[in-house]
Amino acid sequence: MKSVVTTVVTAADAAGRFPSQNDLEAVQGNIQRAAARLEAAEKLANGWEKVTREAGDACFKKYPYLKQQGEAGSTQTKVDKCYRDLGHYLRLINYCLVVGGTGPLDEWGIAGAREVYRTLNLPTSAYVEALTYTRDRACSPRDMSPQALNEFKSYLDYAINSLS
Amino acid sequence: MLDAFSRTVISADAKNAAIGSGELATLRNYVAEGNKRLDAVNAITSNASCIVSDAVTGMICENTGLIQAGGNCYPNRRMAACLRDGEIVLRYISYALLAGDPSVLDDRCLNGLKETYIALGVPLQSAARAVSIMKASSTAHINETNTSGTNPDETRFRKMETVQGDCSALVAEAASYFDRVASALA
Repeated sequence: MKSVVTTVVTAADAAGRFPSQNDLEAVQGNIQRAAARLEAAEKLANGWEKVTREAGDACFKKYPYLKQQGEAGSTQTKVDKCYRDLGHYLRLINYCLVVGGTGPLDEWGIAGAREVYRTLNLPTSAYVEALTYTRDRACSPRDMSPQALNEFKSYLDYAINSLS
Repeated sequence: MLDAFSRTVISADAKNAAIGSGELATLRNYVAEGNKRLDAVNAITSNASCIVSDAVTGMICENTGLIQAGGNCYPNRRMAACLRDGEIVLRYISYALLAGDPSVLDDRCLNGLKETYIALGVPLQSAARAVSIMKASSTAHINETNTSGTNPDETRFRKMETVQGDCSALVAEAASYFDRVASALA
């Protein structure tokens, strides 16, 4: 899975050399930024259910037609699945914060998502609204430190852009 | 290939759960000990050729048949192959130590190594012995417990001169990667 360390190791291995000073510096830089990432991951994990709930509520509030007959949220089962999917996105963002790269979102969230949503006739704008709400609702220092919030929002933006 | 962080992600994904405080504690430890780890990798890479040539020399000293006609380190071409393989193994161990996870070592070095050596007629016991000598000298370099040995006039002896501290966890981790190679060859 793509992260700073694995990228560095892959490059060193392709050249057949030991990890160089440059490689070690790159990992060092990654480690220095890690504290903020891990803080964001922890705070997100702690509030995961609540964040998911609020994001889903926001999306159905903005698009109430989704609960009408024949739409993506017409039955309770479908609504539950919407909340579940949002939970998945937030869980993958939690993983991205831990890894320090977009690997988990790319591999498990974004790859094939467009095709799946088209086939199932799901509106991506609803996901965008939910994640945008989460992004704009999160604030510092109430939720997490400024640097951690920055990391968290950058992955939310990454997910939003992939769905837009 | 995984590192300490992505290993946690893979196991959390299997449980369909977010990564909470429990798992993060080990990762915070990786971060806190980060500089030690980088120094340990540096200790291995900076002394790589010394570690490898020492190990191969030691292996041959214990079994001089290797460099006699018909031995597996005779002629020079095969001796060179032996030194090269020692360096390759040490290189993958340095990657594993940097990543904090043995997957790169397993996938890219050990997978099929034993079968290859058997097919080529390389004595596995000698290879494992060279790895165990590399283990001894690498861990000594990381821990800075290396000595000039029996010769007091040895001038090539070197210490890394990093800040002293408790590196026992890292030494144990590095040792486990060498043991992994040894057991893959057994």
